[in-house]
Formats: sequence, C-alpha cells, structure tokens
Amino acid sequence: MAKSYDIAQDKDMEQLYAERMKRYVTTMRNEKPDMIPIRPFVAEFTAKYAGYTCQEVTHDFEKAFAAARKCAADFDWDAVVGNMVYVWTGLTEAIGTKYYGVPGIHIPPDTGFQYIEPPEEEAFMKPDEYDQLIEDPTGFLFNVWLPRISADVAAVGEPTSYRNNLSFLKGGMAMLNYFNAFGTQNELLRSESGTVSAISGILKAPFDIIADKLRGYLGLVTDVMERPDKVLAACEALMPHLTHVALSGADPDKNVPIGFWMHRGCVPFFSQEHFDKFYWPTLRPIIEKIWSNGHQVLFYAEGDWNAHLNAFAELPDQSIVYHVDRGDIFEVHRVIGHKFCISGGIPNFLLSYGTPKDVRECCKKVIDGVAGDGGYIMDASAIVQDDGKVENIKAMTEFTREYGVY
Amino acid sequence: MAEEKKAIRKPGVCIPWEEKLKELPELSGDKELVRKVWEDIDVLGYVYIWQCLLSF
Repeated sequence: MAKSYDIAQDKDMEQLYAERMKRYVTTMRNEKPDMIPIRPFVAEFTAKYAGYTCQEVTHDFEKAFAAARKCAADFDWDAVVGNMVYVWTGLTEAIGTKYYGVPGIHIPPDTGFQYIEPPEEEAFMKPDEYDQLIEDPTGFLFNVWLPRISADVAAVGEPTSYRNNLSFLKGGMAMLNYFNAFGTQNELLRSESGTVSAISGILKAPFDIIADKLRGYLGLVTDVMERPDKVLAACEALMPHLTHVALSGADPDKNVPIGFWMHRGCVPFFSQEHFDKFYWPTLRPIIEKIWSNGHQVLFYAEGDWNAHLNAFAELPDQSIVYHVDRGDIFEVHRVIGHKFCISGGIPNFLLSYGTPKDVRECCKKVIDGVAGDGGYIMDASAIVQDDGKVENIKAMTEFTREYGVY
Repeated sequence: MAEEKKAIRKPGVCIPWEEKLKELPELSGDKELVRKVWEDIDVLGYVYIWQCLLSF
C-alpha cells in the first residue's frame, strides 16, 4: 500500500516537474506560458525559514541543501537554485582562502558570509603582472594568484609544506564532493517537490573578474587609465577560458540557462566609454559563442545596468534572460522586452520591511507592466537573504499564482 | 610569442598531453587510451583553479 502510494506520488511529482519545466522554459524563450513562473533566488532566507543559522547553511552544505528543499516543498515555486548560499565555506577554509568572512568564525553566526576585498596595495595581482596573466592565465592562477589568496599554498620557489600539500588534496576532493552532491540535490528537488533546478553553470565577465578577484575595483579603476592596453589584452586572454568553463557546466539538455553574475562593470562604477571599450567587446563574443552552442545565459544584473540596455539589445533574440535588480523594470521591458525574457523587479527592501499588502501591490504593478505577453519570471530584485520576511515571500508567491494566470 | 605561449595551455588543459608524452618511454600499448585518461584527469585540475576563481 505504501509502495503504491509512493508510486502515485512519484508520478504526481514527475507530472508537476514536467509542467513547471515547460512553464519555465517557455517563458525563458520569451513566449507566453500557462501562468507566470516563480523562480526566487533565495539564499540565507532558506536558513531562516528552515530553522538554521547562517553559519549552518554556509558551512554545512547538506543543511543548505535541506533548507532549499524545504522551501521548495512548502512554497509553490517552479524553479530554485539547489543552494543559493553557493560559497561553501567548509571548502574555502580547507583551501585556506583569505577573502571570506565566514559566519561563526570571522563574523557572527547569524550574519551571511562576506567577501572582503583587500586594500588596493594588497591586491592579489600587482599592476606590473598583466603580462604574466595574458601569456598564461591558468599558470598565473596556479603559480601567483592561488598562493596569495590562500594562507596555506606556497608560491613557486618557496619551500613546500604539509599545509600546502593538504590544501590541494582536501580542496580538490571537497570540491568534487560538493559538485557531485548537486546532482543528488537536483534529483531530490525533482522527486520530492517537482521543482526545477533553475540554472546550470557559471559565467562572469572578463572585466568583472579582474576587479573581483585579481586587481580589486580600485586597482582596475587605476589600470583603465594608466595601462588600458594591458587591461584589454587581459580581458581577451580570459575570454576563451571563461567561455570554456561556462559551457562545461551548462545544462546538457539545453533547458535552463547558465548563470551570469554581473558586478561592477557598469555605470557609475565605470564610465560608458570604459564599458564600450573593455566590458562589452570582451563579453559579447562569449554570449554569442554560448548561444551558438544552444545555451541561454541568465544576465543577473545586480545593481542598475539600464545605461547599457541598448548594448544588450544587440544580442540575438532569446539568447539571454535578463534579471532586473535596481534598474527600472518598465524601461527594461520597453528596450529589450521584445527580444528577451525578464525576471525580478520586486525590491528586496520591500520584502524585508514592507507588508504583504505592499508586496501584492508591487507584484501587480510589475505584472501589469511587463508580463502581459509572457516572457516574465517572478522573483525578488536581488538574492533574498535572512532579512526577507516569510509573510512577504508568501504574499509574492500567492499573488503571482492568483493573478499571474494567462 | 604571446600567441605561442597561449597555445601551450589551452582552455581545459593544465599539462598538455604533448608535453607529458615527451616524458614517457616509447608506448607499447594503446597510446590513445593513455592520452584520453591523461586529459580526462588533467581537466580536473583546470576545473579546480578556475572554479576557485569564479565560484569560490
């Protein structure tokens, strides 16, 4: 009896999964589904909802996975990320990574993990090292960058050590364990709640990654003025590698997009001239290459990228899904809505400090403004952390289900 | 020169098979098998460093 019940439940979940996948994919192709899909990128919110601390979901990925599954089972969401608290700090601590503030170690256990950018003079790449990066990016990362960002890894020419050897051994095995665990997590999301895994693979822009992990934002600001040719050559040298990494992690079924995390390459962090000279010419070919291989890219436009919508509009129809954070979503819809699916636009401050009534009104305004012809996915503006109110996330979900039927 | 160096370590490669092959004795068995297994494992090192940069 129990077995037949399980089979029936499995069938129901499989049917639900198929319906959600169809809804999600149809929408991402900028077409009209049966109803608006809901795909919230919830990170530390899952810990709050499931009863964990930030430390627990950041440092113990099995708890993060369990929290994500609990949210997926309790909320009527079409797609989620298997673990949006993506940086597993058990792994980064094993490697000896210096740039994270880890909950329960460097910061309070109820604070989300922090990325700590070093001062300009302590950047992980020095201004005279561009040529090394350009000539051999992989070699530079192993030989120069990794020893600087790890407390344990010895630089070339330095004596090796027990800690050095263990950093590679433990780091490599832990990374493999973590990535393999996502396969199981995605299957559990499917079988337990009929939920689609929202993205597959990772991309960052060459220009962004130089600021994020190599020169730092301030260092790159200096470099675009003092050594612009080196910056451009470095971006070009990174392009084939970032393309390779993105494609190697992409969904083999070509349903869900590659996640592209956009940081500080936009106005006003840099000028329009810098965007046109460095950011866009070294990103656009990557997106076009990925699309030529049949994969969409999810532009997770953190901050406000509306100054660059005309550039994004140059991309082939349907090649991207454009997520709106602090940009004007109605302007986004006007400029690129005819070409690409849009997601997001429900401000995080509203989800944290507003009321369910406020949230419902905002959702109505966004749906009325951008979702009339399909091609819209409901989501918060930015990744939801533990300040998101449960009642407001419920209001966003329930209102979309009530009002967002075509 | 820069082009030549770029070609030494292509995307997905840490130690190219051509470089490794020079270190090996004359292969008496299935050379293609040795190459494939070398490259399949070598790419894991590539994944490690680039994921450290991009994801962690």
